[in-house]
Amino acid sequence: MALDFTFTEEQEFFRQTVRDVVNRLIMPRVKELDEKEEFPWDLWREFASLGYLGIRHEEKYGGMALDTISQMIFYEELARGSCGFAMSVIMQVLMGTYFIARFGNEEIKQRILVPAIKGEKIGTICFTEDQSGSDLAGTRTLATKVPGGWRINGRKQWITNGPIADFTTVMATVDPKLGLKGLNFFLVEKKTSERDGFVVGQRLHKIGSRCSVTSELIYDNVFIPEENFLGEEIGKGVQYAAEILNEVRVMTAMNALAIAKNAMDDAREYAKNRIAFGNPISKYQLIREKFAKYWAWYEASWNYAYKCAWMIQNKIPCTNECMLAKYFATEMCMYAVEEAMRIYGGNAFSTEYPPQRYWRDAKFLLYGGGTHEVLCDYLGRVFLKD
Amino acid sequence: MEIFVLVKQVPDPEAMIKVKSDSELDIENRYFTNFFDEIAIEAAIRMKEKFGGKVTVLTVDNHRVDALRRGISMGADEAIQITDPLLEEANPFAISRAIASYLKDKPFDLILAGRQAMDDDAGIVGPAVAELLEIPHVNAIVSLEIDPQKKEALVRREVEEGKEIIACSLPALFTCQKGLCSPRIPQVLNVMKAMKAQIKKLDIKSLGLNPNEILGLKDIIKIKNYISPPKRPPVKMIKEDFPENVKILVKLLREEAKVI
Repeated sequence: MALDFTFTEEQEFFRQTVRDVVNRLIMPRVKELDEKEEFPWDLWREFASLGYLGIRHEEKYGGMALDTISQMIFYEELARGSCGFAMSVIMQVLMGTYFIARFGNEEIKQRILVPAIKGEKIGTICFTEDQSGSDLAGTRTLATKVPGGWRINGRKQWITNGPIADFTTVMATVDPKLGLKGLNFFLVEKKTSERDGFVVGQRLHKIGSRCSVTSELIYDNVFIPEENFLGEEIGKGVQYAAEILNEVRVMTAMNALAIAKNAMDDAREYAKNRIAFGNPISKYQLIREKFAKYWAWYEASWNYAYKCAWMIQNKIPCTNECMLAKYFATEMCMYAVEEAMRIYGGNAFSTEYPPQRYWRDAKFLLYGGGTHEVLCDYLGRVFLKD
Repeated sequence: MEIFVLVKQVPDPEAMIKVKSDSELDIENRYFTNFFDEIAIEAAIRMKEKFGGKVTVLTVDNHRVDALRRGISMGADEAIQITDPLLEEANPFAISRAIASYLKDKPFDLILAGRQAMDDDAGIVGPAVAELLEIPHVNAIVSLEIDPQKKEALVRREVEEGKEIIACSLPALFTCQKGLCSPRIPQVLNVMKAMKAQIKKLDIKSLGLNPNEILGLKDIIKIKNYISPPKRPPVKMIKEDFPENVKILVKLLREEAKVI
């Protein structure tokens, strides 16, 4: 009885509850959220008021401290609604607040984490620059030690929630020559008349995940106090990032699984109703093969992703496994959205039909947590023991 | 106020259901709380918020308790599951007997239930429980006002060409119809509470019921056979040009589809 694939009764109930919230608050607005390309403040406030932004955090700060598997259930169900809204929420729940909760002092937690869990302050994390992303060693944003704190200089790109962020966890180097060993995290808040901080640069318009707003953030000689250094030792930023990367990768897999399922569930209904040559197209073998192949890959990647969630929860080392899960689920999703587009035929090319939205949203998942080229290069080396 | 709410889990409307044999259905394992029962839970919670007291959700189910946890997450205080192998595949009369046996010695002001379950659409359990308990009942209410001092309720139900307003004494049982209220989305802290809630389990013996009585009631209704809905006929394309195609369409609608 050691191999057990069942969710607990509580986890099943939690899935049902989140699904109900998504069905009621998000599903009716999916098309509108995609078309408007604006951050849905009303939906954010309503969703935040239910308390879901605290699922990872300690109860004393207003969180739920849920187990990892339940968190993954949350990410999967949320992405089943709107991928864009899920991106904004997950940024707040996971990456945007992780280092504040891990290293922030009590004053910072009360000032930033508590309102973030209530949805009153919005956070994000900043890795990507024009010449770095998956290649973190290329980070050029500079943190310079000054009396009483640090000065941050640099530009960050592709920042989810950037235009609306109140606080950011910024990866910066203390010396570019040190490569990965020079990297650290810093808390930088938005510039106001009372406070030095970042300013919002160019807003990016995306083809998918459109209601999560994205922009460049500019750090122009920003002063931050000593306590905004998020870590125990200088130079351990990459090590700290690794703590969360497994979760980020499995979370991305969950999003991919949700999009794939949506795409193929819709395609199934379409195939059963679309008549060609006197029959529903679902009667044709080439169409059936698409569903069979998807089903096999979906089941395999879904089970593998939850296995990784289980490994994280049980503190079993699983860096390679989580990379594989992210790669596999996202590639499976690419197959599903591409085939859904083909099943819809010419109608797929119209924005009246949903597969194009799934296709556009899915592409967003290729890059976060490491591009597939970088992941595969690494995994290939590990496999070959090079 | 002491309020009991009768709840049931039913297959999700999107769940795949196939006729497995004459007396058996193959139902995909996707269940949710009956829509009308959620309205009953919401109405009960609102009464508790207004007048104080306690809400208990109760189900008869050998396998699932999500409807009870749903009730707790919405604000109910206690959850009771009546579960017994003898109640497997039980009909509404056996279920009503089990519920009434539990409630007969309990102090309560109000019992609420959904108008009907969305799976069998029978609508029997609510009224049957009230009959067994010998208390007044009104079906499919769309409004509910309570006077706890006078122990009276004023309810409205929709009837043909209008609304019927009924006053009745408490304790009473009402089944709830769409329009009575809109079920709330539970706060996540209540969801956590529901996830951890202890569900009190009771079997036939602990209810003081004679097993033969339940077996006898189970024989009242026998499902003879399930029949799948007819398959949709193939699409018929009309190839003629206008105006001939309109004449053919009208003829088909009248003679084949019989809709005009």
